[in-house]
Amino acid sequence: MSERGDVVIIGGGIVGAACAYYLGGADVPALVLERDYPASGTSRACDGLILYSDKLSEAELALARASATLWADLAASLDADLEYNRRGTVVLYETEEGLAAGRRKAAELQLAGVRAEVLDPAGLRALEPNLAPDLAGGVYYPDEAQVDARAATLAMLDAARAMGAVLRGNSEVTGIRLDASGRVCAVTTRDGDVPCRTVVCAAGVWSNEIVRTAGVELPVKPRKGHILVTARAPGLIAHPLLEGSYAASVKSSAEGVQVALVAEMTASDTLLLGSSREFLGYDRTVSPAVVQAIAARAVRFLPGLAQRSIIRSYAGLRPWSPDHLPLVGPVDSVPGLYLAAGHEGAGIGLAPVTGQILAGWIVRDEAPPLAEAVRPGRFPSLMGER
Amino acid sequence: MASTDVAVVGAGPAGLSAALTAANLGLKVTLIDELPAPGGQYLVGNPAIHSRDTKQPPFSAAERQGLALLGSLAQTSVETRFETLVWHLGSDYEPFPRCWTLGLYHFPPELGGQGGIAGKVEYLTAGAVILASGAREQVVPFPGWTLPGVMTIGAAQLLARRHGVAAGRRVLLAGSGPLLLPAAVHLAGLGAEVVALLEATHPLDWLPHGPAVWGNWDRVAEGRRYLAALRKARIPYRFGQTVVRALGAEGLEAAVVARLDSRGRPLRDTEEQISVDALCVGFGFVPNSELAQLAGASFRFDPANGGWASELDEGLQTSAPGLFVAGEAGGIAGASAAMLEGRLAGLGAACHLGRLNEAERTREQTTSAGRRKRAKRFGVMLNTLFAPPPGLSAITTQDTVICRCEEVTAGEVRAAILAGGFPLTRGAMTLDALKTRTRVGQGPCQGRTCGPILARMLAQETGRPPTDAGMFHVRPPIKPVPLAALAGGEQP
Repeated sequence: MSERGDVVIIGGGIVGAACAYYLGGADVPALVLERDYPASGTSRACDGLILYSDKLSEAELALARASATLWADLAASLDADLEYNRRGTVVLYETEEGLAAGRRKAAELQLAGVRAEVLDPAGLRALEPNLAPDLAGGVYYPDEAQVDARAATLAMLDAARAMGAVLRGNSEVTGIRLDASGRVCAVTTRDGDVPCRTVVCAAGVWSNEIVRTAGVELPVKPRKGHILVTARAPGLIAHPLLEGSYAASVKSSAEGVQVALVAEMTASDTLLLGSSREFLGYDRTVSPAVVQAIAARAVRFLPGLAQRSIIRSYAGLRPWSPDHLPLVGPVDSVPGLYLAAGHEGAGIGLAPVTGQILAGWIVRDEAPPLAEAVRPGRFPSLMGER
Repeated sequence: MASTDVAVVGAGPAGLSAALTAANLGLKVTLIDELPAPGGQYLVGNPAIHSRDTKQPPFSAAERQGLALLGSLAQTSVETRFETLVWHLGSDYEPFPRCWTLGLYHFPPELGGQGGIAGKVEYLTAGAVILASGAREQVVPFPGWTLPGVMTIGAAQLLARRHGVAAGRRVLLAGSGPLLLPAAVHLAGLGAEVVALLEATHPLDWLPHGPAVWGNWDRVAEGRRYLAALRKARIPYRFGQTVVRALGAEGLEAAVVARLDSRGRPLRDTEEQISVDALCVGFGFVPNSELAQLAGASFRFDPANGGWASELDEGLQTSAPGLFVAGEAGGIAGASAAMLEGRLAGLGAACHLGRLNEAERTREQTTSAGRRKRAKRFGVMLNTLFAPPPGLSAITTQDTVICRCEEVTAGEVRAAILAGGFPLTRGAMTLDALKTRTRVGQGPCQGRTCGPILARMLAQETGRPPTDAGMFHVRPPIKPVPLAALAGGEQP
């Protein structure tokens, strides 16, 4: 047991859970310090889509595909129902111009080896009979998948605990302490210091405040999103659906709110409806205007939803990073400090590959495959001598 | 967007009293309720249902007072919005000092009703808000409590008073608290055979609480009238007993009842099966607190007050300036206290908006404040002596469903509490944490029913105080609203 805390992971969300899981698999049982309870932050306020059709760069796509493979393995090997389903997703286009862009995107992805099938209106109706009849078409990505983000977080943490990791809830880390040589020697919590040689900051949007105490500035900003939960609507959709402008809204850095429909069914037959993106600091209150805007997009694409009710909504904060890639790996200026943060809306999808890369760094102290693109040192504020 | 000086949420005794008080001071008041008519659960239904039946006991002082408030509502300038749900409450500091925004969902029958067909989403801004949203019943779950034919006392009262329908032909009432008495009398008045009224607590436990009765003579007289009516209808009133199982295939066929030991645990060898077609249960009330939670008001846990309730100052203002709570929504104390609190909150809102100065308010509220204290004391006494005894949780077996919406059993909840790593995670096992491990609280009722049950279970399983369990985090809409109404609604 690492109660002594050789490796401390800050954050019990999906990313911290994945780090604990892959470190556990490498015989490095970590101590996970979670501020509230597992999955209490962004991981409980998100959808569970494992996508690559929205990826913007070759590096991002490579990470997404590696992670998607790991998710399939996890779903098969973890001793819990992650509500994992690989039934593919459908991207929807309202207009011919939109569909033309979708077709180009699909062709690009096909070149990279991703399966994609462009759908005309009839093809779209065959896959999703309850969609509005006036859509221009869509693209079906048969290999995209979904999980229940909360169940997956808990399952990875439980598995990590079975391999010796220790989880402490209600345990907020307020800072990182360095020794005289500038190396990590402890983390500070409200209940006192926990000595450790290695710290993994996986605190998502709340990482900035913590690593700042070690003199490190992150370029991560909270990007707020809303999700609406409907009453049960069994059979209304057969695949998760994404509005074609979704990728563009991810790419945009606009300050104002942007809304693009994402609809996902859950094992209990409710639908999760998203999505919105806006920069509003750390405010997590639900905005009625955004709820209404998402409802309007949902009814536009799925007229059958008009009669159904929203039973709750929530808002979460995505850890946005300037180049849409997470920051995973060592902070060169502070020996012993590692980051696993800045995944924006791809935290669920990229969690396993993040955990694997991070564990690789800690166990072997050299760059594992795929690690270069996400190295924190690519940002000037995080460069430094090691 | 429509605007008003004072928005009053809930048109029961507290809300009526608050609205009339504020309107009489010249404020523009908007009174909102989900029901199609004013009166709330307490005054719901046509009073003719009572008066037609000569076997009914006469109205209590509180009922007479409530009916008088109802009668004067039409003569005032109060704007009423019925069949309207307040699904959101937010605030903004602009325009200064603070402006409240209420998200409304109006669902009159001609628009299709609450079944989810349509309705209108609108917004209302208000300088002050008085929450008088009442309370909901608490249940101690037992096997079979989800069978058709098993309902809360309140549901049976609603059927009886609003629709003149008895819950069944042979009815058993079980639970704790004074509300069992009028329910039994009303059911008998409608021709139902009330086989028994089972009170889980015992009169011997009540003795130490006698002093709080002082001054609340109208409440005592009310109780005595109901007791006399029970005797007249030959309804057995049994103490220290409760229902432990409901039996039936498609619907309720019989109830198994048992005596309780001194700690409230059922004695299995005293079990007795009674065939009934309706079983009404109620173990007291918890405040409806969702809107105050959404508004960010601070809360305090006090079992004698009904559990979690908003922290209120002397003028019934919450920690959020301009937000007031009156009646059972702020703690369980009955209709008399609710009406007094409505008046105090109305004065408080007027003071907040500058219509009254402090001196005027103090003068206006002296008598009400004193009488409210006395009525509250009586309420605290009732909550304390009729609190479900701790051993009663033994009727909740492992297979008993706790979360009705998502069909999560007590056994699954216990397993989740253990899997949460307690005690390693020290206090990290809250209701919200439980919601991420199971599906409790994720259904249409959003944990309204199962929240207090789960809090008790958590406290019992972990040995920690119920405050550690916290409350379910509340997010809008506090009750379901159809997408069409949101999509086509007014913009905030």
